[in-house]
Amino acid sequence: MGCGLRYVRASSLEEALALMAEDGEGTRPLAGGTDLMVELRRGGISGGCILDISRVPELRRIEVEEGEVRIGACVTFSEILEHKGLKEAAPVLQKASGTIGSPQIRNVATLGGNVANSSPAADSIPALLVHESKVVLASLEGWRELPLESFLVGPYRNARRPQELIVGLVLQRMGAGCYWDFLKVARRKALAIARLNLALLVRKDSEGRLGLVRVALGAATPTPRRMESVERMLSGRPLSEGLLWEAAGLLAHEMVGQAGVRASTAYKSVAVQGLLVRSLLPVLNGSWKG
Amino acid sequence: MLVFHEFSGPVERIMTGKERVSIRFVINGRPVSMEVDAGETALHAIRGRLGFKGTKEGCGMGECGACTIVVDGRAVNACLLLAAQLDGRDVLTVEGLDSPLGLHPLQEALVEHHAVQCGFCTPGFLMSAYALLKENPSPSREEVLRALSGNLCRCTGYEQLLRAVEAASQKMNPRR
Repeated sequence: MGCGLRYVRASSLEEALALMAEDGEGTRPLAGGTDLMVELRRGGISGGCILDISRVPELRRIEVEEGEVRIGACVTFSEILEHKGLKEAAPVLQKASGTIGSPQIRNVATLGGNVANSSPAADSIPALLVHESKVVLASLEGWRELPLESFLVGPYRNARRPQELIVGLVLQRMGAGCYWDFLKVARRKALAIARLNLALLVRKDSEGRLGLVRVALGAATPTPRRMESVERMLSGRPLSEGLLWEAAGLLAHEMVGQAGVRASTAYKSVAVQGLLVRSLLPVLNGSWKG
Repeated sequence: MLVFHEFSGPVERIMTGKERVSIRFVINGRPVSMEVDAGETALHAIRGRLGFKGTKEGCGMGECGACTIVVDGRAVNACLLLAAQLDGRDVLTVEGLDSPLGLHPLQEALVEHHAVQCGFCTPGFLMSAYALLKENPSPSREEVLRALSGNLCRCTGYEQLLRAVEAASQKMNPRR
């Protein structure tokens, strides 16, 4: 401990950005700290400054508006789970939040931190992708918004500039009449890193065809991503079990195409088909309940 | 004479933040102030320096829940928190559960239902259960399971723990 590591707590966004402007390269923002503390224990952080942004009021808000939902970077997963307005506005994110870590971890871990860590297996990310989320970044130079897809540039790598902070996420508010799900495959229910996770958001028209289709897959490719070829295959055609399995086959094919053949491929390419079919079967047979 | 100012090298960077941080918080009802290292964990400050040895270090990385404490009413892993983050908070450890009248009903229930064997995980389970019952006095079995899902026990098993928490909840809220 010690060895040159410093700590400072920001009390406002302005102060936090000023501190980032001073030495962005040497500063590690701490939102919940559940990833940072593990890195610290491993000896991965030897010097520099920890900037505690967990109490910055501007980063702690959830705003559910008509067209969009804004969630501050330092909102915890417990707060997302407990927020009543998100049940209708962003239910996929809410379900994904409930699968993260344990109660103790959800009480401190934050949405902004999960996005900043940019793990390929992050549970919030596929959910954010089907909610068409944008990452809001700020520095003293100004603000910018990036679609989450372009923010994520690789495993544990993203487009945040050294002097920027993630301020929050802007989600597209889910419209009426949608079906959705978030499914996760892991070694157990609590405290488990996803081996696969899948987020789904669709809308079905009166003739049983899917209009809007969004499918995002995590822990399978270098960064979680929307599976656009699968979405296209499912759009506009009458939903049937045959179509489901066809789309599931394509999903497995896409996954292997993007990630390459790995030790886990024999398992994952079968499991991922099961996830897609399991998420859409209730929509097909009318047994879906939110 | 040589003029050194041309070779004076980079200007020393302004160093923000401190290596030692002064914090004040309340632990088990008593105010404390102390100086902590920037990278010191809350677990180290509470167990190692303040001597509340009920808070155990199991894995040190948030997997086992042995270091669970309650901060501002919520269960958290003390190993995943910086001591500096405790500043201004209200902290409860297992030492703060009992009263002059005796053990907390949760502690009694763990004894009655044989939910303690080696005892290493016990304080963590107690704190998770305590936070649950504060928030939700009459939880369903599913809710108890979920609240305890961040705590590992490697000898007693979970059945006894579940029954103990349910019994304590009934004892504390007899009108259920």
